[in-house]
Amino acid sequence: MTLIEEGLQGMRELNLPLESIEIREVVAEASRALASLDADRLEELALACRALNRNRLPNASSAPDFNSESAERERDQALLRQAREAAGGMRAFGRILAATRANLVVMRRMRQVREGKTEYSEAQARGWAPPEPGYGDN
Amino acid sequence: MGTISTAFSIMTQALDADQAALNVVANNVANANTPGYTTETPNFQQNQPLDVGGVSYGDGVAETGATSVRDRVLTERLNQQQQVASSTGSRLAALNAMQTLFTPDSGSSSATAGDISSDLTGFFNSFSSLESNPTNNSLREEVLSSASTLAADVSNAAASLNSQRSALDQEASGVTSQVNSLTSAIAQLDQQIRSTSPNADAGVLEDQRQQDLSKLSQLIGINQITTENNGISVTTTSGQPLVSEGQSFQLTTGTVGGVTHFFVGGADITAQLDAGGGQLGGYLTARDQDIPSVLGSLDQLAYSVSTQVNTLNNTGTDLNGATGVIVPPATVASSLNIFSAPPGLATGSVSGSALAMSVVMTDPSQIAAAGAGQATGDNSNATAMAEVANQAVVNGETPSNFYANFVSELGATVSSVQTENTAANASVTQLQTQNDALSSVNLNDEASAMSTLERSYQAASQVFNMLNTLMASVLNLGEQSTVS
Repeated sequence: MTLIEEGLQGMRELNLPLESIEIREVVAEASRALASLDADRLEELALACRALNRNRLPNASSAPDFNSESAERERDQALLRQAREAAGGMRAFGRILAATRANLVVMRRMRQVREGKTEYSEAQARGWAPPEPGYGDN
Repeated sequence: MGTISTAFSIMTQALDADQAALNVVANNVANANTPGYTTETPNFQQNQPLDVGGVSYGDGVAETGATSVRDRVLTERLNQQQQVASSTGSRLAALNAMQTLFTPDSGSSSATAGDISSDLTGFFNSFSSLESNPTNNSLREEVLSSASTLAADVSNAAASLNSQRSALDQEASGVTSQVNSLTSAIAQLDQQIRSTSPNADAGVLEDQRQQDLSKLSQLIGINQITTENNGISVTTTSGQPLVSEGQSFQLTTGTVGGVTHFFVGGADITAQLDAGGGQLGGYLTARDQDIPSVLGSLDQLAYSVSTQVNTLNNTGTDLNGATGVIVPPATVASSLNIFSAPPGLATGSVSGSALAMSVVMTDPSQIAAAGAGQATGDNSNATAMAEVANQAVVNGETPSNFYANFVSELGATVSSVQTENTAANASVTQLQTQNDALSSVNLNDEASAMSTLERSYQAASQVFNMLNTLMASVLNLGEQSTVS
């Protein structure tokens, strides 16, 4: 069973509609930011995800509260559903990430080519280097 | 040997080399706006020095042609991303057209599907209304009217999906001739390059080959493999050869199961192209995966609603006191069917159910609102039919939820393909910028190179003049002359 099928089955079991698309939106926004190499936006999204994760941690010092446990369980289920909904977007994000990595390898290589041009003489950059001076070379 | 005439020879070669290099610069400037032109740089090569009595004498420099400034890794990466951008672009266009069919704003007409979600609600609500007054004829007509609206919208949506599938099939088929034309051109260029420039960049020929590869990448998913003598082999992403050893392999088409299939050398590669890039990959993904998936869901909905409602109506009692006569298997030819029986009912196949969905009942009195064996004023069967709206009768879901989920799935697919398309286009732009920075003619660079070469030419001329003066002096040795 694929991730999206699992997600949909989970939603059916919970009898939940598909209105909540928050995580899906975050993933789509991250994909767009990655595609445009918008590091600042990616950083913001990473912080938002970290905050979301931190809010999910249980508070060990507080006494058990069955009402809040129930609410938490509902929130867990909602988050689980959202995560499952975002499975397709995550797959797209994965493909974009792989493509971006490959692009960056090529761009790094091009930067090295350019740095080679600025570091050495123009003749060397153009693929021609003067021969080593030898005996009798005047 | 180190004679004055040797020095003349060296300077002459220097002048020739500088002149040739200036011609390369001039050619670059002339082609600054030529699409696909790759800037060239002159190659200078030291002539073989002469060794005389253990002493090496330099023999000057020669210009041995020009080299195009290109990076094959970069261009290949650019082609790969173009394949993804084209594939997602054509798939996205098809998905958007599909999504329009399920957008309520598109309205109900023969050309577009209406709001099936509202139709379902309206249809089951009409039974709820009938519950309150089961003998009311106008309420019975309302049931048939809402059933007709639902059936028409479902059937129209299926017909539109089939039309889109045919249109995509034609689009995909039309790509074949363009692919063949490009692979033939690439094969010809490859032959020329391998015979004329087996060990060096082929300049304009290479530019043309790259341009054709770029165009081919927009049409079909390809892999490009560099071979000996500066040649290339082109295969589909799944490995079927399109160009090899200067020979092209034609992509042919044939109809299999009512749709166009693609062949190379007799092998059916349609399934492999489905997962590939380029426009063809996008068209085939939409034709063979996206549309059948949506059509399958619509068929499932039509099948389940039709059979469920027909079965219930045949088990109740109509306004004339009649009960349906169910002909095995199930309700294929049952007497009180509201909807036409799905074509695959006998075998349990849902295929074609949406397209065939229609209302066969014309007499509203045949709606069996009363339960089996009940008087005509009874409403228990109308209640049961209204309750279908809340029962998990379509793949374990209520009809409305099933419809909402498959439309939502379609929306999610559109969204993720849109994101990928945006990303691929951004990648293409970034890589194109890199490629332009490397390979396009930069007029500032050319002006700088021209200035350097001019100076070099002037320097060689000066030395030439000095040698001339020296030669004149030598010729006039011992005589009174103006140069002594």
